[in-house]
Amino acid sequence: MALNAAHFDDQQPIVLVIDDSPDVHRLLRARLRHEQLELRAVTNGEEGIELARAIKPAMCLLDLDMPGMDGFQVLRTLKNDVATMDIPVIVLSAMVSAQDKVTAFDLGAVDYITKPFNLTELRVRVRSALRLHRLVQMLAQRAQIDDLTGLWNRAYFDRRWTEEVSKASRHQRPLSIAMLDVDHFKSINDTYGHPAGDAVLQGVARLIQRECRTEDVACRYGGEEFALIMPDTGPPDAHNLCERIRSSIAATIWSQHPERTVTISIGIAGHARAGEISPNAWLEHADRALYAAKRAGRNTIVTAGGEPRLAKAG
Amino acid sequence: MADQSSRPGSGPIHSEFAGDPEMKELIELFLSELPQRIESINAAFRDGDAATLTRLTHQLRGASAGYGFPTLGSAAGEIEDRLRTLGKAAAPLALAKVSAEVNTLIDLCRRASAA
Repeated sequence: MALNAAHFDDQQPIVLVIDDSPDVHRLLRARLRHEQLELRAVTNGEEGIELARAIKPAMCLLDLDMPGMDGFQVLRTLKNDVATMDIPVIVLSAMVSAQDKVTAFDLGAVDYITKPFNLTELRVRVRSALRLHRLVQMLAQRAQIDDLTGLWNRAYFDRRWTEEVSKASRHQRPLSIAMLDVDHFKSINDTYGHPAGDAVLQGVARLIQRECRTEDVACRYGGEEFALIMPDTGPPDAHNLCERIRSSIAATIWSQHPERTVTISIGIAGHARAGEISPNAWLEHADRALYAAKRAGRNTIVTAGGEPRLAKAG
Repeated sequence: MADQSSRPGSGPIHSEFAGDPEMKELIELFLSELPQRIESINAAFRDGDAATLTRLTHQLRGASAGYGFPTLGSAAGEIEDRLRTLGKAAAPLALAKVSAEVNTLIDLCRRASAA
């Protein structure tokens, strides 16, 4: 799991304050100055919702009593939107009645703080909400990671690939994908047993990971098949990267079967400038290239012919 | 209206957080802005603008307590609550009914002081 630790630690969590009073912004800023967090503040609900969607804060501090759109409406909107529903919200209010508390919790708030703020209480409640956010994120990420290899799993791949394709076609950026398949994997399993087969999958995953750049997204697609998304990378560079992976795997001596090397076949489909193309059609190009590599004798890389046909000439 | 003739209490009012170094600057900032707030409250009162007066006292209520001046906060809160109970329809009448409270609030604001 270490490969993704950076996702959590390389930046401070953002706390979004939605409160109509600039005094409250100031006070919160002073009171939370020494906490490990970055504070962003807006003075009305509409702006708060928009910013929450855009920056995905680690938590919100939400005033209930605001002119215009009140805190309950903001809370309801945040919780009804998949983009913002997982953000923990602490409601702030001068006098929270029991009914208000019940309503806020019913709507999905994790906690409440009464104004004026008690310094210690404010800090521990904010810390606790941030901890909750971190744990939820970690769980969500666990569910996206392949247990055996530690790479991203198939479910993550499907979502990420669709995102990368639409990003690349929107900005006409390069994008490449490689499908990598271990040659004769069944015979490794049959000859040396499943633990040896597992070790091969883990080893191949490690070697792919080692050759990748930080922007590349390495996934276990299923069985002995891996998928590598290479954002901002055209076919020639994708080929170079894949060649490094192919040769480093072919050169590896395996402790459980030093006499038997392991090779992989790779199919690449890439665009120098991505046009309108469906993620599935693109993936099929890579798959067909992979089968071509298998037919060509394995331990080989095949790049789908030139600019794939479905792409708009760019 | 809201003249300075009524002086219910006397002596300066200090922030409850006066000894808190984290709050020192903020309290000074709050106090430096207080005359402007008094002026706005006075103006809303003079103009019979109940909506603005409600908003201003609401803000002051929340802010004062936050800076450690709960007496200011409750004085502002009393005005806000009365105006809300009286309702918007009776605006000019409502304002006449809070004149004493506005005077009290302004007096308290003038006495608010740094440590």
